[in-house]
Amino acid sequence: MKVKYAILEKQDLYRWVEYLKIKARLYAPKKKENLFVFGPVKNADEICLDYIPTILPPKKYYFPQKEKLLEFSIKPFKSEKAIKEFEEYILFGVHTCDIAGIQCLDVVFREYPEDPNYLNRKEKMTIIGIECFKYCDKYANCTSMGNNVPRGGYDLMMVDLGQNFIIHINSEKGERLVVELDYIKEAKPQDLAKLENFRNEKKKMFREELNAPLPEVYKAFSEYESFHSEVWNDVGRRCVACGNCTAVCPTCYCFDIVDELELTLNDGLRYRIWNYCQMDDFAKVATGEDFRKGRNSRQRHRYYRKFKYPVDKYNRYFCIGCGRCSRTCMADIILIETVDSIVDPANAQNYKGLIKNMPEVCQITQDTGACDDR
Amino acid sequence: MKKRSKPKVAFFDFTDCEGCQLQITNMGDTLLELTELFDIVNFREIMSEKSDDYDIAVVEGSISTDNDIKRIKGIRERAKILVAFGSCATIAGVNGIKNRAPLELARQRVYGDKADTVNTIKAMPLDEVVKVDYYILNCPPYVPEIIAVFKSILIGKPYPLPNYAVCVECKMNENVCRYEKDEECMGPVTRAGCNSWCINNGNRCYACRGLVENPAADGAKDIFLKYGFKAEDILKHFTLYNDPQGEKKYDREFK
Amino acid sequence: MIDKAILLEKMKTSPYKPMKARIIEAKMVTENEKFFKIELEGKINLSHEPGQFVMVSIFGFGEAPISVCSSPTDKGFFDLTVRNVGMLTNALHKLNEGDIVGIRGPFGRGFPVDNMFGYDIVIVAGGLGIVPLRSLIRYIMHNRNDFGDVQILLGCRTPREFLFKEETKEWMRRTEIKFKCTVDRADPDWKGNVGLVTSLIPGVDINPVKTYAVVVGPPVMYKFVILKLLEKAIPDHQIIVSLERRMRCGLGKCGHCQIEGIYVCQSGPVFNYAQLKDFRGECHEGECYEKKI
Ligand SMILES: Cc1cc2nc3c(=O)[nH]c(=O)nc-3n(C[C@H](O)[C@H](O)[C@H](O)COP(=O)(O)OP(=O)(O)OC[C@H]3O[C@@H](n4cnc5c(N)ncnc54)[C@H](O)[C@@H]3O)c2cc1C
Ligand code: SF4
Ligand code: SF4
Ligand code: FES
Repeated sequence: MKVKYAILEKQDLYRWVEYLKIKARLYAPKKKENLFVFGPVKNADEICLDYIPTILPPKKYYFPQKEKLLEFSIKPFKSEKAIKEFEEYILFGVHTCDIAGIQCLDVVFREYPEDPNYLNRKEKMTIIGIECFKYCDKYANCTSMGNNVPRGGYDLMMVDLGQNFIIHINSEKGERLVVELDYIKEAKPQDLAKLENFRNEKKKMFREELNAPLPEVYKAFSEYESFHSEVWNDVGRRCVACGNCTAVCPTCYCFDIVDELELTLNDGLRYRIWNYCQMDDFAKVATGEDFRKGRNSRQRHRYYRKFKYPVDKYNRYFCIGCGRCSRTCMADIILIETVDSIVDPANAQNYKGLIKNMPEVCQITQDTGACDDR
Repeated sequence: MKKRSKPKVAFFDFTDCEGCQLQITNMGDTLLELTELFDIVNFREIMSEKSDDYDIAVVEGSISTDNDIKRIKGIRERAKILVAFGSCATIAGVNGIKNRAPLELARQRVYGDKADTVNTIKAMPLDEVVKVDYYILNCPPYVPEIIAVFKSILIGKPYPLPNYAVCVECKMNENVCRYEKDEECMGPVTRAGCNSWCINNGNRCYACRGLVENPAADGAKDIFLKYGFKAEDILKHFTLYNDPQGEKKYDREFK
Repeated sequence: MIDKAILLEKMKTSPYKPMKARIIEAKMVTENEKFFKIELEGKINLSHEPGQFVMVSIFGFGEAPISVCSSPTDKGFFDLTVRNVGMLTNALHKLNEGDIVGIRGPFGRGFPVDNMFGYDIVIVAGGLGIVPLRSLIRYIMHNRNDFGDVQILLGCRTPREFLFKEETKEWMRRTEIKFKCTVDRADPDWKGNVGLVTSLIPGVDINPVKTYAVVVGPPVMYKFVILKLLEKAIPDHQIIVSLERRMRCGLGKCGHCQIEGIYVCQSGPVFNYAQLKDFRGECHEGECYEKKI
């Protein structure tokens, strides 16, 4: 790779998007009512690069809600991997936090025994990220998790410098999408200086959202008392087990497997469907034993699966700080509050919807092109 | 492949609006494909002949008179498999509202001075009177679910009802949650399986599928109150379709 | 990092794809349990370890984890014993000789037979727990000289639930295995012990440091059995337990079988008590394991 950084003028953005659309299927954040979703791009002006995390993370493209695993027939007995050819696709305008989410699932699905469906899709994926320069909202804890800045895992990373985008080229796959275009030029030293400047400004604005640094959070979660903390009972009492928090989490990957027959009653498909540890029957066995019966123990399990178990197993926190779970929870179970209360039980008294009533975090205003009416 | 003898299906209705059967006639081509697998021997909406010889009885409507009880017991005896079809038959549905008032009062209100001549008892789902083998929930039933249940019947497999909230499917469909727009929704306590049909189409969830086995009435109440709904509205939301489930599931919290 | 070429090769097949297998023998063994002898296509060996399980598939119905109850020393076929409790197990009960099922696996870690060489063995089974233990017992029978004294303690709810009755007699006769059993509720024909399986433990004569105890049964059973075994001073890591959890994939991915950070389908289902006592997620009816013990 020769060029490490390239420059794209803003007026050429749509041109580039059109180019990308020819190269592969293109998915980007778009507006949906008062929120955002990733979706296929028909017209370049649908894309919103200035967006708060989408309802569902881009996970739906590499770990779909309902995915064909096998094609089978009963007589004669036949079973085959359902999808053999996967399509090339580009995820455009992915936040740094969501990229960290992809890295997390990578670790999980690459671990023995490898999951071919995920790996097939990952193989065909190109990630074009965008770095944020303002806070999404008060629910995000990306800075504490260290994901407010790019930390690899992407092919291209765009940074909005005002009049133009500076693009970091991080893979050969990414390079191929910029090299042959005459309107994307190599970045000059003054562009890099500007980037440096932006990053310094950003450091002043993004503060660690959790009260304690991560090692202390991990330590708190490892302590005996935390497992039996009153916090879980409080959370469990408020939770309605709707499963929204786990559905929208970029690092939740539990699933169920179901068969569906065609009307011939002989051929059919075996699917895997998202399944959540918040569901009532998730850990129930046929004899009636339920190993995580209360909503409190299920919520606790969710938090431990973000801040403790994966750290022990993969040395990685499985919370990426996107804030989706707090944003979507109608019972106002806020991750920042819960974690702070586990670290220091005294916090539990101060919280209870506190964040909900806080003013929005101050934001720098910056024109990012389309959809700035949010 | 060996041609299997086709099971005979009969449709019956009790206290209801017949919207559920209409839903079957709305199935179009899929209905034709299904009739390849079944013989329909009794279906008032689309045919005139009647038969007492059937394997599968698909019954819609609630039980609400003494005569209904007799009739449904007869159907149960003749049928190998009994399918409760639609909200009225599965959870008593809208008919259940009647149970909120004393029976005498309900009779007076509906029939006025002819009240003495009609027999009426509390509105009940079928399974309060007879054993039910398969449940097709929803008001009106959701076509893909009807097909799934019929397939299960044919291969002799039970059709377990999902025991999680409508929100699960709603999120998979990536709808903007109605609470996000400060609008109410019964999704969080309602049994899934309809693929969040109403919300996908801009409506709210009315809980026509009944409540999940273990609804978090506590948490749900907090949410309703927080979003500015009054306690009596909440009770209305819960009871629109679900009165018979009241004793078991939410009355303790709301009454 | 895995070699890319190997990875690409792996991506072509799927660990979710079951192998074709034929039922070569099927018989009801109690009112609720059916026994199957199964042969993989091409008569290949399953190559499992005692205590491992397979995922049994019937297309259209789904999959369920079932323990292999024959020993790897039984070549060319393997056995399953299935209790009819739900969707898949009910469909399985309708199958007979000649029918086809799908098999994935074997999965999980079996009993630590290598460590058990030379030790005395106490096997404690509750109800269906005898099923996975049968693989171990048969393995021991086939390698009888590698092990010390072997005692089996079996508890059932009623005499009618007594599994492998004929075989047990055979074991006792041929291979000097001591066998004791008890039922919770007797019927008029029953002449043996009545009471919980825990009541048999004080009576066994063991040398704790030289003994491996293997316990399989429902949670209420193994909790109390372990207490009794600890009273006998058997070291923690020599008490072996096999756990049941809900399982969907067997691959350590779907999350259903998780206890704390551990996936039972991959790291279990067999654990020793030294591991087990640290599982705080081992909650049963809201009460934590550590509190009970
Ligand atoms: C490692 C391991 C080894 C096993 N070995 C054996 C064995 O050798 N022999 C054997 O017979 N069994 C064995 N089991 C148990 C066996 O796996 C279960 O009995 C089987 O999964 C039941 O599946 P099913 O499809 O028949 O039941 P289903 O009806 O499909 O139930 C599947 C799951 O859904 C839950 N469920 C569904 N509906 C309900 C409901 N209405 N109420 C409560 N729960 C519900 C059940 O709790 C159950 O876990 C083993 C399990 C494990 C984990
Ligand atoms: S989104 Fe909130 S209410 Fe729903 S399961 Fe998660 S924590 Fe519970
Ligand atoms: S709209 Fe209703 S069903 Fe959908 S997530 Fe919100 S509360 Fe749940
Ligand atoms: S069975 Fe899926 S993770 Fe263990």
